[in-house]
Amino acid sequence: MSPAFPGRRCRSVILRVVGLVSSVLLGHAGASEPPLIPGLAQRHPLSEKQAGEVLMSELRCAACHEGMQGEGMKLAPDLRTVGSRLNGYYLRHFIADPSGVHPGTTMPSLMAGESEEARRATSEALMSYLLSLQEPQVPVKVTGKADANAGREAYHALGCVACHSPRDAEGKELSRKGDVSLSHLAGKYEPNALAEFLLDPLKVRPSGRMPDMGLSRSESADLAAYLRNGHQEQALDIERPGPEQVAIGKEAFKRLNCAACHQMDESEMKVVRPGPPLAKLDPLRGCLSETPKSAPDFHLSEGQRKSIRSALAVASEPDSAAERIRMKLTQLNCIACHVRDDFGGVAPDRDAFFHTTEPALGNEARIPPPLTKIGAKLRPEWLNRVLLDRERVRPYMQTRMPHYGDVALKGLSEWLVAVDHPEPAVHKSIPPDPDEPSDPDELSAQDRELRKRMRNGALELLGDKGLNCISCHNFNGTESQGMKGLDLMTSYQRLRPEWFRGYMRNPAAFRPGIIMPSYWPDGKATQTGILDGDAKLQIEALWDTFSLGRSARDPSGLRSADIKLVVGNHPIVKRGRSRVAGFRGIAVGFPGGMNYAFNAQNGTLSAIWKGEFVYVNWKSQGAGDFTPAAKALALAQDVSFLQLDDDKAPWPLMPVTNKEKPVNPDPLYPRNHGYAFVGYALDAAFNPAFTYRCGDITIEDKPVPGSSVGPNVLRRTFTFSSPAETTLHFRALTGRIESESPGVFKTPEIRVSLSQGETMVRPSAAGDVGQELLVRLRIPKGNSSFTVDYALLP
Amino acid sequence: MAFLVGLVSSMAQAEEVGERWGTADRERDFYRVVELPIPKDLVIEAGAFTTLPDGGVAVGTRRGEVYFISGADEAKPQPEYQLFASGLDEIFGLAWKDGALYVTQSCELTRVTDADADGRADHFDVVSDAWGYGTYHEYAFGSKFDPQGNLYVALGLSNSYDSFQLFRGWVMKVTPDGKSIPIASGLRSPGGIGYNEEGALFYIESQGPWNSSCSLKAVKEGGFMGHPASYNWYDFASNMGKAPALPRSGSRVLEEKRLIPQLEPYAVIFPYIRMGRSVTGFTLNQTKGKFGPFENQMFMGDYTLSLVMRATTEQVNGVWQGACYPFREGLSTGILNVQFTPEGRLLCGGTNRGWPVRGLKPFALERLDWTGRMPFEIERITITPKGFHLAFTKAVDAQTGNDPASYALSTFTHEYHAGYGGPEIDVTAPKVLAARLSEDGMTADLELDLLRKGHVHAFDLAALRSRDHDELLHRHAYYTVNEVPKEPSGSVKPR
Repeated sequence: MSPAFPGRRCRSVILRVVGLVSSVLLGHAGASEPPLIPGLAQRHPLSEKQAGEVLMSELRCAACHEGMQGEGMKLAPDLRTVGSRLNGYYLRHFIADPSGVHPGTTMPSLMAGESEEARRATSEALMSYLLSLQEPQVPVKVTGKADANAGREAYHALGCVACHSPRDAEGKELSRKGDVSLSHLAGKYEPNALAEFLLDPLKVRPSGRMPDMGLSRSESADLAAYLRNGHQEQALDIERPGPEQVAIGKEAFKRLNCAACHQMDESEMKVVRPGPPLAKLDPLRGCLSETPKSAPDFHLSEGQRKSIRSALAVASEPDSAAERIRMKLTQLNCIACHVRDDFGGVAPDRDAFFHTTEPALGNEARIPPPLTKIGAKLRPEWLNRVLLDRERVRPYMQTRMPHYGDVALKGLSEWLVAVDHPEPAVHKSIPPDPDEPSDPDELSAQDRELRKRMRNGALELLGDKGLNCISCHNFNGTESQGMKGLDLMTSYQRLRPEWFRGYMRNPAAFRPGIIMPSYWPDGKATQTGILDGDAKLQIEALWDTFSLGRSARDPSGLRSADIKLVVGNHPIVKRGRSRVAGFRGIAVGFPGGMNYAFNAQNGTLSAIWKGEFVYVNWKSQGAGDFTPAAKALALAQDVSFLQLDDDKAPWPLMPVTNKEKPVNPDPLYPRNHGYAFVGYALDAAFNPAFTYRCGDITIEDKPVPGSSVGPNVLRRTFTFSSPAETTLHFRALTGRIESESPGVFKTPEIRVSLSQGETMVRPSAAGDVGQELLVRLRIPKGNSSFTVDYALLP
Repeated sequence: MAFLVGLVSSMAQAEEVGERWGTADRERDFYRVVELPIPKDLVIEAGAFTTLPDGGVAVGTRRGEVYFISGADEAKPQPEYQLFASGLDEIFGLAWKDGALYVTQSCELTRVTDADADGRADHFDVVSDAWGYGTYHEYAFGSKFDPQGNLYVALGLSNSYDSFQLFRGWVMKVTPDGKSIPIASGLRSPGGIGYNEEGALFYIESQGPWNSSCSLKAVKEGGFMGHPASYNWYDFASNMGKAPALPRSGSRVLEEKRLIPQLEPYAVIFPYIRMGRSVTGFTLNQTKGKFGPFENQMFMGDYTLSLVMRATTEQVNGVWQGACYPFREGLSTGILNVQFTPEGRLLCGGTNRGWPVRGLKPFALERLDWTGRMPFEIERITITPKGFHLAFTKAVDAQTGNDPASYALSTFTHEYHAGYGGPEIDVTAPKVLAARLSEDGMTADLELDLLRKGHVHAFDLAALRSRDHDELLHRHAYYTVNEVPKEPSGSVKPR
């Protein structure tokens, strides 16, 4: 049972909502239009013959005609699970009159010469067959509520309008000749299927003519909601076709040779080529006649017929790589966004839809980059990463570079490299050439010195005392404080060295109008104080530093700060090393601004502060060490519970290591004094309670803000569970201790109030600490508790 | 100060990351790099992965968070990330057992559970913290559970040269009843710990003192892994006996093994830079063909070079050894760990912060998906008494396969010394006397004039062709010979 089609499976109401759907579908059905190839519908760089070749590839002529070049033909949609995607009513009408239902479709009418009745019967049968092709397992993916408004924004910002028409406030296409109309979408898809299609269009249309826009699940749901244009999704109550109808439909599918274009699983779908072979083709008849009868009817325009005839007339010379590039860029409509040489580029009426988050960077941040000489600009492996692996480096550009898939792009990067013939690297680089890395130990002393100079020089050039490149470019993963241009560190992996050298000398020669100044006009350095003002050396030095990637040092002026953790509605627990809590430190911040740190190595409350929580070092090699974000009161970090033999016994202090004596002299401390950390648990309000042991006694230690006692109070509640009655010593405080009243003590910074216990203040064994406050606690067998309030003094 | 040298060299001095294999564009036909998008507000610097009983995957991060990922196996992944735990300290080990997540973080091995079943962890119980933690760079790497329910934690030294805190440079075995037993000393800076297909325990060691290249080493109870800085803790490990004799710097590892029986030689050496610069976490391919060939092999990431390699191991005369092979380069960040998803895709993750890394992304989760096409690769190299047995993923053509000249071999070894890293020395070029291709073309037996113990045998099979005229996707492989199997009695030559 397929859960997605309860209506179809469980009921057999026939066409309950036909009225609605037919108005959705056929309301837009109009006169048949010629097939639309977006790239050919605008100013393109192709000759008549080439345009004809592109058309023949898009219309799949070679699928029916022997002897034609069929490589790289557009693949028709994969129908193997089409019954899970499209609704039957749409399918039936579309098959009967493809161009009438979806103006501009490349699907021909295959029943042009048949009677209305025969057409209806065949399309009904085909519908039955196609509906039987269901996905074996319907994915159950719950998406949040789709937002059609967000979809509208995405539609007009991500690049959809490069091929499809912008729409007015009512969702009506402000159609321009040459846009692929989407007016048929409203009634086409089963619930969720449009969103699923948008998420991964290449799955069923591997040719990428509708490319993958890199949508997230929610973006595709939003977009689908928008494209439905107010029409609710609902499964159609079409009677589930019986096996007989399916079989009839399958026969029709075979008879009409649908598998010549549509990928099918069944091997029985033998593909035949019923059309006359190329050698015997009459370019005035068949599909190319004005009113095809027995041949597929593509509704070709006169101009299209002319182009195809021109392609057929010329003995087919293999196209050169340069021609193939032009044809491919037209076929995939790359030219709607990209300029190459003297063709392509954003059409004036679409320019306003290309946006950036960095408007100050100008058009370069908004309009996709030119492809002129792109094969000489990018390293081949990077070109492939962009084309095939979805690598993207311009986060500020709102329009997305689509992913076309390797079927569509086959050969393109090789042709680009061949045609743009990058100059061979004749230029001998100043040592050391990062492209030919050499062992630093093998460099001569002179070269080593030069390398050092170059690296220092590059940092000066990049930083705020030099050319200040980092004021307009991100650098090595750190955002610029100014404009957030392309991360400079991507340069080395993306660019060919020769191109970089040329570009640096005159950016505007490559990108007219770019806001990047020329820092080496006429080959002379504007920054003369660095690297002796040697232009060549400066540019080499930058290239060398870009080759270092993440290990390059930060130039002056680049700020990468520690990350501040901010407490929201719940307490935050953060483990990590800290000056105030040792290596096994745990910081806890509460809403309201009380914070403390716990040293879990020794079982001690080790710091208290009021205000912001902590800064965490996650930059560079930073291992997440934390620092209080406000002035913290540091407390002693030695073990705090012990079973002392007598009140005079010295308190064992934690071992101290330093540069001179780095080895831990007491590695078992404080385990050798009975302490063991057991862990912590969060209550329903996310307050942690620590558990540790002192000998046989298990201690739960839960500090929370003592708001009922005072504004800057931390209340620490201990729960002991002991197998026997015993005595426990608690070291409550160290420093310059004054007794205020029984059970209340203070230092200049903090007041400690104890709920019980015998107290004693005595000199600490740690010389610089001063005194220590010990509390002798009588611990009964079973559970007992003890409370300590810590009040920060102003 | 010695450790300052280590610090300075890794932090302040910029380093080149080395050249590519140059095979990424061909590798793409067989294994695609597929990005798992990470929502904009999350930072997922993966340090550890584990699969979960519900078919999901958990990732632990350097920032101390654990996310449960659902949808990691979708063809075009749009995974959902559910924050399970936060506030932990650099996670380099995750394992799931009996409804609990076992998290190896720098400070301890922690059992993390969600007692109130609201999807967020609320109990963090110490399973083991029986090691010192008090110096820069002291990372802890956790294994998965072995069949007996033990989990192993590999503890890096305090810096490249010293062990300042308890059991730094040791492997701890944590038993199901919660005992922590130190079982091996001599580690320098581990990158991962786990098992081979026979359940034997291995860890990844980094290049540095006493380690001229990164390597895979077998961990045996009572073993010494080669770096003597951690000898100072034998007094705290009564089960281990006395500290072994000190190795002599400048010797060879097999020579020292004769004097120090506890010394475990490198099982698989990853020739420095050619095969990684900082090899990290590894996992075992038991996907039953879902990932293509290479069943029962280990896959490991490299941090600096942003790539994934594979390795095979075998035990010869009681000593582990084996080979490493290039696999896939061109990932987007420094790879810290890898994990097979339930559907047999290789999940890779990490970060590029702090050390030189080729990949440009500050962090990323990527998947290697087998495209279903069979690459022409050296599947596995094993040793024979007179040479090597090579298995391939596709049939080799008879002409090149039977020609000894198709098999170019060279060998080298490293000094075993206290200095930081070391060159390839004692280079030799063994002669291939005979090459015999099996009838089906899937294996070849090589007879060499000499197998050199203690040497890495580097293969370059550029001339080899498959029956369908492919070149090898990767022509290189590197086999570390510690032992040579004895001639089977009654036979004169390998098959």
